[in-house]
Amino acid sequence: MGRAPLFIASLLMIACAGARADDGRLRDGAIAYVMTDLFWSVYQTADGSRECPRGFNDGPREQFEQLFPAHEFLSVEETQLRQEIETWHPTNEPDGFEFLEVEGELSWGLNLDGETGPNDFTHPDGAPGIDNEVYRAVGCIIGFRGPDGVEFIFQNKAILDRVYNRMMIELTGVDDLENDDAVTLTWYRGMDRLLTDATGLKVMPGGTQRVDRRWGESLIRRTQGKIVDSVFTSEPIDELVIPWMNLNVPSIQLFRDARLQLDLTGAGATGLLAGYVDVDTWYYQLIRNDSTHHLSNGQISGISLYKALRRLADAHPDPETGENTAISTALDIKMTQVYIARQARKN
Amino acid sequence: MQRHPAKLKLAGAALAIAGIGSTVLTADEEFHTEAYRDIPAPPGFHVELTELDGPVFADSAGKTLYQWPLHKLRNGYSGEPPGTPQCRDEVLTVTAGLMSPYPPGIKLPELDRRLSCVDLWPPVPASDDAEPVGKWTIVERDDGSRQWAFDEQPLYTSVRDERPGDVIGGTTRRYGGDSPAYRVPVGPPSLLPPGFAVRTTSVGRMLTTDRNESVYAYGGDTATATNCRDACLENRSPVLAPALARAQGEWSLLERSPGMRQWVFRGEPLYTHDLDTGSWSQQGGDAAGWENVFTQKAPAYPPEFTVQTTIAGEVLADSSGRTIYVYRCGEDSADQLACDHPEDTQVYRLAMCGGGSPEKCREHWPYVLTGAEAKSINRSWRILTIDPDTGRTAVEGEPDTLRVWSYRGRPVYLFAGDKQPGDVYGDGAGEWRGQRNGLKAFWLRDDFMDGIL
Repeated sequence: MGRAPLFIASLLMIACAGARADDGRLRDGAIAYVMTDLFWSVYQTADGSRECPRGFNDGPREQFEQLFPAHEFLSVEETQLRQEIETWHPTNEPDGFEFLEVEGELSWGLNLDGETGPNDFTHPDGAPGIDNEVYRAVGCIIGFRGPDGVEFIFQNKAILDRVYNRMMIELTGVDDLENDDAVTLTWYRGMDRLLTDATGLKVMPGGTQRVDRRWGESLIRRTQGKIVDSVFTSEPIDELVIPWMNLNVPSIQLFRDARLQLDLTGAGATGLLAGYVDVDTWYYQLIRNDSTHHLSNGQISGISLYKALRRLADAHPDPETGENTAISTALDIKMTQVYIARQARKN
Repeated sequence: MQRHPAKLKLAGAALAIAGIGSTVLTADEEFHTEAYRDIPAPPGFHVELTELDGPVFADSAGKTLYQWPLHKLRNGYSGEPPGTPQCRDEVLTVTAGLMSPYPPGIKLPELDRRLSCVDLWPPVPASDDAEPVGKWTIVERDDGSRQWAFDEQPLYTSVRDERPGDVIGGTTRRYGGDSPAYRVPVGPPSLLPPGFAVRTTSVGRMLTTDRNESVYAYGGDTATATNCRDACLENRSPVLAPALARAQGEWSLLERSPGMRQWVFRGEPLYTHDLDTGSWSQQGGDAAGWENVFTQKAPAYPPEFTVQTTIAGEVLADSSGRTIYVYRCGEDSADQLACDHPEDTQVYRLAMCGGGSPEKCREHWPYVLTGAEAKSINRSWRILTIDPDTGRTAVEGEPDTLRVWSYRGRPVYLFAGDKQPGDVYGDGAGEWRGQRNGLKAFWLRDDFMDGIL
């Protein structure tokens, strides 16, 4: 064989290798991805008119002006502290402001309960029974809407900047990244900075993460799943804890019946993390990580939002009161492939 | 000139705490103090060695001297530009609106008992014949009186400090951008070779490089010999001294190999840890035989307290493992007066911890009670007697009062939302992520929060 045919054969081999779904990153039946983006999933039209036909909610600054138009005659106790008390000791009692819920029929998310009911949304692809009541609560609050809502921006910034949120998944027992009916999913927290391009903003595949067993052992979860046409779907995890940091306050989100639905490639995974979040944990994460000032920048009234979350909570009733303690949700999640560096467990 | 440290005995009798609600300090603890550069000072001023903040300047009565540095807030600045006293003998009545979203002009609480900035922070007076000495200069106040300044920042004492060596009024620990414009104790420079720095943390005065890299010591080393070579150096770098460096005081040099000299502090050769992921790290101390280096460690916490592991680091906890919290508060007034001490207004704290109800406060954020026989153990950890209905100090033995642990003169708390050891669900609760009217966990180790200790 002459040199030319050899060269062509080599090119063909390279091309074939490049066409593999896993890009060669599936090793010993395992592939891992690290979380780079996580947003409360909000279906939004360009001007919001379809989902929020009556506009968007007021925030603390607007509510303060309406409540206390002559604040110069009032005291700190009668104004600022009254609002902070309502924020930190929330109740179900009406606050005098109309809360604008999402009125559209479409939402991203999953059918968590396997049923289709009057309170469910329809997926933009037509699938019925979508459970996403967090969206119904936050969809008409500008701070939760992309691309410039305060929650949209800062949560993601923290994921890139901080290691505390360095959640990653590993799929093991994978024979084929396109179709495999028996895959094991493990959630870990990583310990290392993300591998980025020269801008520092784009996370690149092929980085390395050590598993955080010193502080993150309690975050490890394991379940099963399957891959169909390169879409991975997990079985529910009873309690999934996602570390959630913004502005140096370490908090968490607690998911009940958490499940993943991800489009897989060798370079990354994109899709949804869905489940039921504990209402109180959700709310206190928000107000611990963001002061009333930050909430104001997104027109997020914690006082009004808490009442909506309680009203819309749709799962896990309290055995004594019967009141639902959790609310359905979905988050848009993006992950980038990493290699996990195995370490001896440190006591 | 230099002042070299000593191991001091904190004799209980000599440090008896005066004042209502306090008990007598009986700790007889030995601790290293920090060496400092002895700079010229006017007559009457001297240096006090403190438990938490190292050497600080004090007046002739031993009261710690503080500055009020200019601090950027959300809607403007507070504090003092160099040479410009802003702390006045005027009782302010309305908020300044320096922190959004609340507007300025709202009436401040408890105006009938409110004090002025000068009431709480007396300026350090300079006599008519006083003359500047080195960095010690004199500024003129609005009323024509003369006030001492250091490094151009006017100097004050704090009415919260009771005895020489107290630093109840303020701290040199780092504070975030949304914290109040704090008063900061001022002292002489630490006696360090170029290339080193000291940072006040919750666990002590941490020695670092001037790039805030932690430095570590290896137990297998001595001042004149190292056992850390080859594989031991895989993730460690000796802190090297320049050719002109000379031994001085607590600092000496170890020649690891010809021409390669390593800094040695108090007989321990110093290293950085290449895998530390942030400033002021403690990660390099995880390996056996390795420890962070401090010019002085923080004083002991109460013996029944414990250290708990969380998903964000280590916290101080009570005997049952429940996280300890510290309350922080500063008013949105032009003078940024504190509201976190039992003698300050309790309006903010009661609002935050119990919606204005003392009973709910005790339910949501209970005090850390002491045993009947417990005693204050040092300046930093003292037992206070508190009237739980008012939140203020009370006379010990009075009915319905509580004996509680305090840190830097302020009660510490537990959080009802924490159910098991390692829970820190109260961290950051309150206004401005717990920095202005709220609670922060008592962190002892931070691998995730960018050096908040």
